[in-house]
Amino acid sequence: MKKIVATIIKEWILLRRDLGGLMLLLIMPAVLIMVMAMVQDAPFKDYQQIRFELLLADNDGGMLAEEIKKGLRNSRNFQLVDSLEGKPLTEEKLKTLLENGTYTVGIVIPSGATAEIVNSANSVANNISQKLGLGGTLPTREPRNNMDVALYFDPVSKPTFRTSIRFALDKYITASGSKMLVERITRLSKIADDTAASQQDVARLFQGIGIREAELNPKDTDMRHINSVQHNVPAWAIFGMFFIIIPLAGQLIRERDERSALRVLLIPNAHRMVSVGKISFYTLICTVQFYIMFAIGYWAMPGLGLPSIYLGQHPMVLLPVALAIGFAATSYGYFVGTVFKTANQALSFGSISVVILSAMGGIWVPVELLSPVMQKISLLSPLHWALDAVHQVILRDRGIEAVLPNLAVLWAFGFALWCIAIFRNNARSQSIQ
Amino acid sequence: MPAAIEITDLHKTYKGALVPALDGLSLQVQPNQVVGLLGPNGAGKTTSINVLCGLVWPDKGTARIHGKDCVADALAIKKMLGVVPQQIALFSNLTALENFYYIGRLYGLGDKEIKARAGHLLERLGLEKHAGKRVGRYSGGMKRRANIIASLLHQPEVIILDEPTAGVDVQSRAMILSFLKEYRAQGKTILYTSHLLEEAEQLCDEVVIIDEGKFIVSGQPNELVQKTPGCRRLEDVFLHYTGHSVRD
Repeated sequence: MKKIVATIIKEWILLRRDLGGLMLLLIMPAVLIMVMAMVQDAPFKDYQQIRFELLLADNDGGMLAEEIKKGLRNSRNFQLVDSLEGKPLTEEKLKTLLENGTYTVGIVIPSGATAEIVNSANSVANNISQKLGLGGTLPTREPRNNMDVALYFDPVSKPTFRTSIRFALDKYITASGSKMLVERITRLSKIADDTAASQQDVARLFQGIGIREAELNPKDTDMRHINSVQHNVPAWAIFGMFFIIIPLAGQLIRERDERSALRVLLIPNAHRMVSVGKISFYTLICTVQFYIMFAIGYWAMPGLGLPSIYLGQHPMVLLPVALAIGFAATSYGYFVGTVFKTANQALSFGSISVVILSAMGGIWVPVELLSPVMQKISLLSPLHWALDAVHQVILRDRGIEAVLPNLAVLWAFGFALWCIAIFRNNARSQSIQ
Repeated sequence: MPAAIEITDLHKTYKGALVPALDGLSLQVQPNQVVGLLGPNGAGKTTSINVLCGLVWPDKGTARIHGKDCVADALAIKKMLGVVPQQIALFSNLTALENFYYIGRLYGLGDKEIKARAGHLLERLGLEKHAGKRVGRYSGGMKRRANIIASLLHQPEVIILDEPTAGVDVQSRAMILSFLKEYRAQGKTILYTSHLLEEAEQLCDEVVIIDEGKFIVSGQPNELVQKTPGCRRLEDVFLHYTGHSVRD
């Protein structure tokens, strides 16, 4: 134990004197987190928080147009623009604005669209009335063609965005049709029988089953949604933690080159204890690094106009998670510093491999967006297990039991590399000349 | 009384090497003696030292220190052995005192013990004023002296020095040699390698000349000079036995 503590003290003195290394460990990831969170803030908001401005030219002026407008206005995703400079928007103006790229979506409701829905509802109501023997009939005519609501998109709009607008619009049109049908059936039943059910009663019969978006945990529901802070703070904190390999591997190689590592080999029982001391020290440094990054996410992000990071219902679970990530990162650094002979080899391999493992592990792009093959490959990256563990806590509000598999993988990864490093070091000492 | 150091029929060939580093080497060092292990480059001096301190395992043969086997009793050997490597085996970004505290703690010494021992050795080797300076900023001679102090903190019975005066100025060399004589006077055994034969002649009770991993000759320096025809100095004896061809 004394040897481990002595090594921790010595490592602390060395790190304190290595300003470049300290900057790399603390300032670089902090800057990275802030820059990436700000850069990715808009893309994350695109599909979650931003209200899209949506143009609407109403050539109908009837109930259908009103229903669509009402639905769009009530939606959290759209901001309806149906007039400009006090004048109602025309179809020509709408197309010009879309072509200019000023707006991305436009809806044109054709003239007579409401009349067409009324006609359709009357036909259905008459049909039902006839079958039920209610007696009354409503006026109908032949349906007209080309009565579709037109949707115009900026050519750069993404397919998912187009689909979501189409679904929203389809919902409003269907709702209008249903409402009109209810109103027509009610009217027919009143003709036949004064004591018939009211329009609300019939509407209730038509309502059937609705859809309600429910929260798994009703507390803090707004905060649990993924945003650029929730993704970037843990992702780049983990990325920064794995960059511990630069100072650690560099130091191991320097100690080997300047032969101070040889001194340790000459002392009884020192080598393994020094190794434990080094791993413990750098694991602690990584953990501190993790908490500093989260502190930035919690306190500094709101100052940059970004949301504060949400730590989940079990924030204490982040401690074993941080320790496991720190251990995996430190062991990786120890491995790289032991296996490679020169600092150039180790630092080049180390930094490039962390970038590759981070890309595989969902640091750059969430794993869910990767192809199925890449999702399987991502399991090979310790950064994937690290990020997933943090997400379990801060996005899914899970406790320690949910992160145990991740912790097991991270500790196993760390121990495996550490053992290989010790084995390699023993083999190398046998070839000292 | 058993020999302090006893090497018997030691063989070692490194992986990929064409010739053996040690080829049946045998030698003995009696307690309380200073013995010079001499030989040209590649003679097997450093490999012999590495075997003695447990860094390299021999392919064949035995190496013992005070009767303990260097492979089977590696831990016990490390406790009784102080090795001053050819290179400066210190942390260059730590001060000398920080180095000594760290190394002393690794040897299991208490801070008070380290302070007393390091203080004495720093004073004896003229480094007391520079103890708070980083080793990386030391001159060559200061580094050599600090390297010796680090190896003696645990007060070993046997000291092995691999070219302890290489590249140092005359004053530092004189200080190191006088210190080693003083240390030997405390009843310690010293095995020492050097290419400076005049220095060996001055310091050693006995020299052992080895070449190509084999024992060549041993004896007191002046005895060897007298015994070897046409030789007036130890250097002549050395060249007589190892030849004039350059070793690379």
